[in-house]
Amino acid sequence: MNRKCYRFFGGLISAQERWLDRMAAGGYRLIRTEKLLYEFEPCEKGKYRYRVEFVGQKSRTNAADYARFLEDCGYRVYFKNINLNWNVGKLVLRPWAEPGGRVAANRSTFGRELLIVEKECDGRPFEMHTTFEDKINYCKQLRGPWLYLFLVSVSLGIVLRSWGWAVLAAISATGLLIYQAELSKLRKQAKTKEW
Amino acid sequence: MRDNVKGGALTEVTFYILLSPYAPKHGYAVMQFIEERTGGRLRLGAGTLYGALNALEEKGWIAPCGSGGRKKEYAITELGKQAAERELKRLEELTRTAKEIVGGTL
Repeated sequence: MNRKCYRFFGGLISAQERWLDRMAAGGYRLIRTEKLLYEFEPCEKGKYRYRVEFVGQKSRTNAADYARFLEDCGYRVYFKNINLNWNVGKLVLRPWAEPGGRVAANRSTFGRELLIVEKECDGRPFEMHTTFEDKINYCKQLRGPWLYLFLVSVSLGIVLRSWGWAVLAAISATGLLIYQAELSKLRKQAKTKEW
Repeated sequence: MRDNVKGGALTEVTFYILLSPYAPKHGYAVMQFIEERTGGRLRLGAGTLYGALNALEEKGWIAPCGSGGRKKEYAITELGKQAAERELKRLEELTRTAKEIVGGTL
């Protein structure tokens, strides 16, 4: 029997990956996603593995092209929202995104910031990014929104003298520091090695 | 893509990706080609491969060709072949020097 779960992971991308992997290990394969919903069908235990890719910086066309490429490689992909936005007709400005994805409207990658990628286990490692250069680029893309949120909340916290913004600044600083540390580690490794 | 535009070194990954579409291939076939040719030593993640294929396409070294039906296939261009030939010469020189210095161990 199919199983429906309601979860919200927000920016915790690796937590979402681990949860999907645990579901697959327990014999449940993802078949549908909605804003908070993940629907699973029974499958052979441990048959599938999951990776969650952040594509919020891409334009709608580029994100769709990437998803198609992954499907051609034999993966199943699902788009997923990273935030909870209930508004209709909202525009989001993303200064950290690539040109073409900077104003995210309902018809762009708005609400489709994540790609859940499913692979059938074949005993080989399942990594989306394998060279240090590419890992660094991807890590920068993940850091972008945190950096932007940090700068905005610090500025507003100072200007408005508001504790709410200060709390948000502290939260975003945590995300920022995690990716910054990862980036430094990757850059160090990339000095002498390509992958 | 960390390669020197002035004609310098390509990375190993870039060179392998460039060598793959001498016979037209789609993305997944490029991945398999590299894995087979390196005996599993070099396995590319799909995200890395996607970025590298786009970068090579932008440089004009590979181009999409229309024989693959739904899947997008790539073929190497004349410009790409010239780059591959330059890289081969550079690697031959490097191997020669390494053999001389490391001695008979190779």
